[in-house]
Amino acid sequence: MIEICHVSKRYPQSGTNALDDVSLTIESGAFFGLLGPNGAGKTTLISILSTLLLPSAGEIRIDGETLGRRRGDIKRKLALITQHNSLRSDMTLDQIMELQGRLYGIPQERILRRREELLAFCALTGHRNKTVRRLSGGMKRKLMLCRALLTDPEILILDEPTIGLDPASRRQMWDLLRTLNRQGLTILLTTHYIEEAESLCQRVALIDQGRVARLDTPENLIRLLGPVAVDVFAGDHTQSAFFPDKEAALAYAGGRSEPILLRRTTLEDVFLTQVGRGLEAV
Amino acid sequence: MRQNPIVNAVVTVLWEKWVEFRFEWKKITASALVSPLLYLIALGWGLGSASAVTERPYIDFLVPGILALTTMNTSFSAVAQPLNVQRLFEHSFDHIIISPTPMPAYIFGQMLGGSLRGMYSGVLILLLSFPFGASMCLSPAFFLVMLLNGMTFGALGVMAAVLASTHADITRFSTFVILPMTFLCNTFFPLDRVPGAVQTLIRLLPLTHASGSLRSMAYGAAPSLLSLGVLALYAAAFLAVANLVVLRRKNL
Repeated sequence: MIEICHVSKRYPQSGTNALDDVSLTIESGAFFGLLGPNGAGKTTLISILSTLLLPSAGEIRIDGETLGRRRGDIKRKLALITQHNSLRSDMTLDQIMELQGRLYGIPQERILRRREELLAFCALTGHRNKTVRRLSGGMKRKLMLCRALLTDPEILILDEPTIGLDPASRRQMWDLLRTLNRQGLTILLTTHYIEEAESLCQRVALIDQGRVARLDTPENLIRLLGPVAVDVFAGDHTQSAFFPDKEAALAYAGGRSEPILLRRTTLEDVFLTQVGRGLEAV
Repeated sequence: MRQNPIVNAVVTVLWEKWVEFRFEWKKITASALVSPLLYLIALGWGLGSASAVTERPYIDFLVPGILALTTMNTSFSAVAQPLNVQRLFEHSFDHIIISPTPMPAYIFGQMLGGSLRGMYSGVLILLLSFPFGASMCLSPAFFLVMLLNGMTFGALGVMAAVLASTHADITRFSTFVILPMTFLCNTFFPLDRVPGAVQTLIRLLPLTHASGSLRSMAYGAAPSLLSLGVLALYAAAFLAVANLVVLRRKNL
C-alpha cells in the first residue's frame, strides 16, 4: 500500500508550489491514475515517489515504512517508467537489462531468464543486440517496461507511459499493463490522455495546481457530473450540459434551436469541468 | 542468493565502465594520449634537451609529472563526463537513484572504474616515454600512487557531475580546478621555484603529492607515506562529500 501523507513541494528558485499538502492512499493491487493538465504537479509527485525529488514537507509510506533515498529495502519494491526516454544510448537491449539486474543484486542466471521472458513478452527479442540509439520510440518505451519488470517490483510507477506512441503501440501498451495488473502488480499511472485513464484505472485523482481536486472511480466521477451529456453547438463554441438521465437531457435539448449532440458523459468531461472552470465551479 | 550489496554495487559499476570502454576504446585511447604526447614532444624533446631543473635530465623530471596529470585528467573525465550526460541528458542516472544500490558503494565503484581508466592511459604514456629517453625505477607502490591519484579525482568527478546544472559546468570545473593543477602541482617545474605563500597552497593540493611521490619513487626513493596518506584522505573526503550531495540534494 502507498500512503502519500501531506506532501508538499516548493521550488524556492521559481517560488512555485508544485504540490500543496497532497494526501492519497493507494491500495495494493490497484490501478490508480493521476490526471491533470500540464504543470499540475503529477510528475513532481511521481518524482518524489521514486526519491528523485525530496519533498519540502510530508512523507511517503510504502507498506507502512517511510520511503527515503537510503531505504534500499523499500526502493526494491518500486519500479519507475519515466515520461522521457531514460535509457543508456550506448548500451544494447541485453546490456540495459543486465545493468538493471545487477543494480538490484539479482543473480546472473535469474537476470538471463527474466530477460528472455520479458524481451519475448514485449516482442523485442529480435532487437536484443541493437544499441538503444537504433530503436524506434515505441521500442524504447517497451524496453523501459521490460527494464522496470526485470526486478519483479510490487509497485510500478508510470509517468505518461504512452506519450509519443502511435495508436497501435498505445493499445499494445495498455494490454500489457492490464495483464500485469491482473497478475497483482500495483500500478500508479500519470497521464493527460483521459481515455487512457478511463480505460485502465480503477480510481483516479484529478490534480490541479498541486492539489487533489477530485478522487474517486471514473464511474463515480461521471455519475456525479451526470452520465448523459448534451453538446450545444452555438456559433464558434460548444457548450456542454450534464444530466442524471436521458429524459432530463432530452427535455433540455428539445426546446433549443441550435444543433445538439446527445451522448454519454466521459471522464474527459469531468476533467474539463474540473480543470477548465476552476475548483469553485464543481 | 543475493550478493553482498556493497561488493555487487562496485562490481556493477566496473562492469558498466567496461561496457563503456569496449564500446569506444579506440576513441578513448586516442583522446587520452593526445595531451600527454604533446607535453612529451614539446617539453621532453623540444625544451628538455636544453634545460635541466635538477641534476637529472629534464625528461626524468617530466615523465612522473605527466603520469600524475594524465591519471588525474583521465580519471576525472572518465567519471564526470558520462555521469553528467547520464544525469542531465539521458536521465539514466535516475535509475541509479531509484535502485537499492548503496550510494557510497556506487561512488566507490565510479572512483575505482575512473582510476583504472586513468591507469590505462598512464601505463600507455609510461610505455611511450621510454623512446623519449626516460629512465625510471618502477615498483608496486608507484602504481598504487597512480591508482590513489585516479580515485581521488574520480571522486571529484562524481561531485562535479552531481553538482553541475549544465554540461558546460563540467568544462568550467575543469578550467577552474583541473587545468591549474595540471600546470602548477609539481608537474613541469619544481615547487621550490614558486614564492612562499603560493608554494604552501600548492603543497596542500592532491596532485602535488601524486607527482612528487611518483617522481621520488622514479628516482629510486622509498614511497612517501605522507603523500599516500594525503591522497587516501582526499579520496575519502571527496567520496563522503559526493555521497552527501547525492543523498541530500533535493532536486537531482
